[in-house]
Amino acid sequence: MTASHDTFSEKMADAAIRATPEPLAVRVRGLSDRAIAWLFIAPTIVLLLAINIFPLFWAIYLSFTNFRANRPNAVVQNVGLGNYSRILNDPDIWASMQTTAHFVFWTIVLQTLIGFALAYLIDRKFRGHAFWTTLILIPMMLSPAVVGNFWRFLYEPQIGLFAYAVSFVSGIPTSDIQMLGNVHLAPWAIIIVDTWMWTPYVMLICLAGLRSIPDYIYEAAEVDRASPWRQFWSITVPMALPFIMLAVLFRGIENFKMFDMVNLLTGGGPGSTTEVASIALKRDAFEAWATGRSSAFAIVLFVAVFGLANIYVKALNKVKQR
Amino acid sequence: MTDHTLTHKKPRRPVFLRRGPMEALAVAIIALGFLMLFQPFVLVLYTYSFITLLAGTVMFTIVSKFPE
Amino acid sequence: MSSAKSAATATASSAHSVVEPSPTSKRVAGAIVILYALITLVPLVWIFLTSIKSPPDSISYPPKILFTPSLEGYCNLFTTRTRQTPDYIAALPPPSGVCDAVTRERNMVIAGASNFLPRFANSLIIAFGSTFLAVSLGTLAAYGFSRFKVPLADDLLFFILSTRMMPPIAVAIPIYLMYRQLGLSDTALGMMLLYTAVNVSLAVWLLKGFIDEIPREYEEAAMIDGYTRLQAFFKVVLPQATTGIAATAIFCLIFAWNEYAFASLLTSGSAQTAPPFIPTIIGEGGQDWPAVAAGTTIFLVPILVFTILLRKQLLRGITFGAVRK
Repeated sequence: MTASHDTFSEKMADAAIRATPEPLAVRVRGLSDRAIAWLFIAPTIVLLLAINIFPLFWAIYLSFTNFRANRPNAVVQNVGLGNYSRILNDPDIWASMQTTAHFVFWTIVLQTLIGFALAYLIDRKFRGHAFWTTLILIPMMLSPAVVGNFWRFLYEPQIGLFAYAVSFVSGIPTSDIQMLGNVHLAPWAIIIVDTWMWTPYVMLICLAGLRSIPDYIYEAAEVDRASPWRQFWSITVPMALPFIMLAVLFRGIENFKMFDMVNLLTGGGPGSTTEVASIALKRDAFEAWATGRSSAFAIVLFVAVFGLANIYVKALNKVKQR
Repeated sequence: MTDHTLTHKKPRRPVFLRRGPMEALAVAIIALGFLMLFQPFVLVLYTYSFITLLAGTVMFTIVSKFPE
Repeated sequence: MSSAKSAATATASSAHSVVEPSPTSKRVAGAIVILYALITLVPLVWIFLTSIKSPPDSISYPPKILFTPSLEGYCNLFTTRTRQTPDYIAALPPPSGVCDAVTRERNMVIAGASNFLPRFANSLIIAFGSTFLAVSLGTLAAYGFSRFKVPLADDLLFFILSTRMMPPIAVAIPIYLMYRQLGLSDTALGMMLLYTAVNVSLAVWLLKGFIDEIPREYEEAAMIDGYTRLQAFFKVVLPQATTGIAATAIFCLIFAWNEYAFASLLTSGSAQTAPPFIPTIIGEGGQDWPAVAAGTTIFLVPILVFTILLRKQLLRGITFGAVRK
């Protein structure tokens, strides 16, 4: 623990005790509130400083150097903004951003549409809806890596269940359904698995949004003889919108940094058609070992996610007030 | 602040010091940064997407301290 | 607010409200949702079915729905095998178990145990260890944030949450270098610390919500009765927060159990967990799908149980405690 950190925590605890009302004389015995505030919050902050913040600053430092992790003894040179300029002018990395954008856009569109529709239907409260809701929720709790890996088997053109089912319905021969081998189909293969897995997430949050709408608003609309169509667009959608935004933002953040499922399904291939940002970063950092350059790439992704996270927390607070 | 100003009706803070509109602007800048990052048309826009995102994020962090 | 809302729902269900959906619309909605649920479960059912197929059945065309169940996938998951000549196998003493017999039918003998059990054990140790640490730290910090007026609390809480949002590969680059320096590469301790750091953010946010719901008056009453603040925390607040702590623990456990990105980059041998190991299970001539399915099934069953236990808290968990229903 550093000295500066000690004083920071002390100051925090100091202010904490000054701000906490002191109604009772009992505070004198045992540990003071100030000591407890210090004792309780400090371990978490220290852990995060050690495992998150210190490495982050190290990455920022490395992003200005030409350090390579596979040559730890080579002379490290300061390259200034050179790494950033290379990352931000590299057409391949730009292409990986577009691949990411395609993935993020379509997963959000599909998951929001299907998730909201399901939530709307479940909110009709048919018999047994709680049971079926629980079943629908199962995929989102599973490991994206382990289940994604199994989808490779489902996608096998000859023996896989997915190709068989599609060809059974559409009549296209199974040998043409190369979900992971065809450059046009592979981006959709990862979108399908992600949608299968995370639609329940969007559904659950939308359901909370629908249930937060008080009945009296609909009753008032009935009295005013508003059509169901009109009620849907002027009550249901606007009132559920903060919740939908919350789900969209979170899925946006998660899919922007998507790694595990894509790495196992396609590994970025065929060619680089499914090379999303995290896969490109992994190749640069752990296969090309360009640690300095990949640190700059990592900082670019950090800043993007950090910006989204700010908006996400704003959305969280908005929903919390409901 | 002088007594004179206190007797007047308290002036509203200027727009660029209020939290609501400034946060909305920061969100818009971050969104613009993402559009620039993701668009497939002009390399220069991609090049400047990072600085846009950084500016939006820093701005958001600062203006979220402003009072409503 | 919540009581007003439950009152509203109570009236809606007792009196036949105008907004009650018609029986027909309920039936149609139910049919569509059930159809979706059945389709979405097909991949999971297929994992289980594949795990009890023999390798030839698993790769037949068209995919087989009816087949003779076989334990070969599970046998292959737990063992390594070597090919032998039929003469050699015929000369062996009678098979000592099911797996022995199944293996010999393929002209192979069991050579030893596979790496699956050690990898599974790693997953258990790392997941439980990191969950214990994250929930312990998280409970303390959540209490601190809930009960004391910490300066910059909002910024600290945002900072804590933002650490969870970071792209794992971006975090892994400096962590990889740091662990190499500290000798923590490929150790269970290193992975535990890393998962604790990721999970503590969720734990703080979730538990702060749970502790906020416990009235301060309980502790204050206890302190008037002569308890110190610490005693009040341990004897009054902790027992009240048990449900919240349990739910938080399960969420942390599921994350650590499922995690792949860090595990695949930072572990390679002795500390490797099950998620990076399962995709590497190969048989002769490619992936041994029944064995992969068997490993996947064993890996997923605990999560299925936890999901069902957690179903009432799920919403809270996935929104960091913001939506409490």
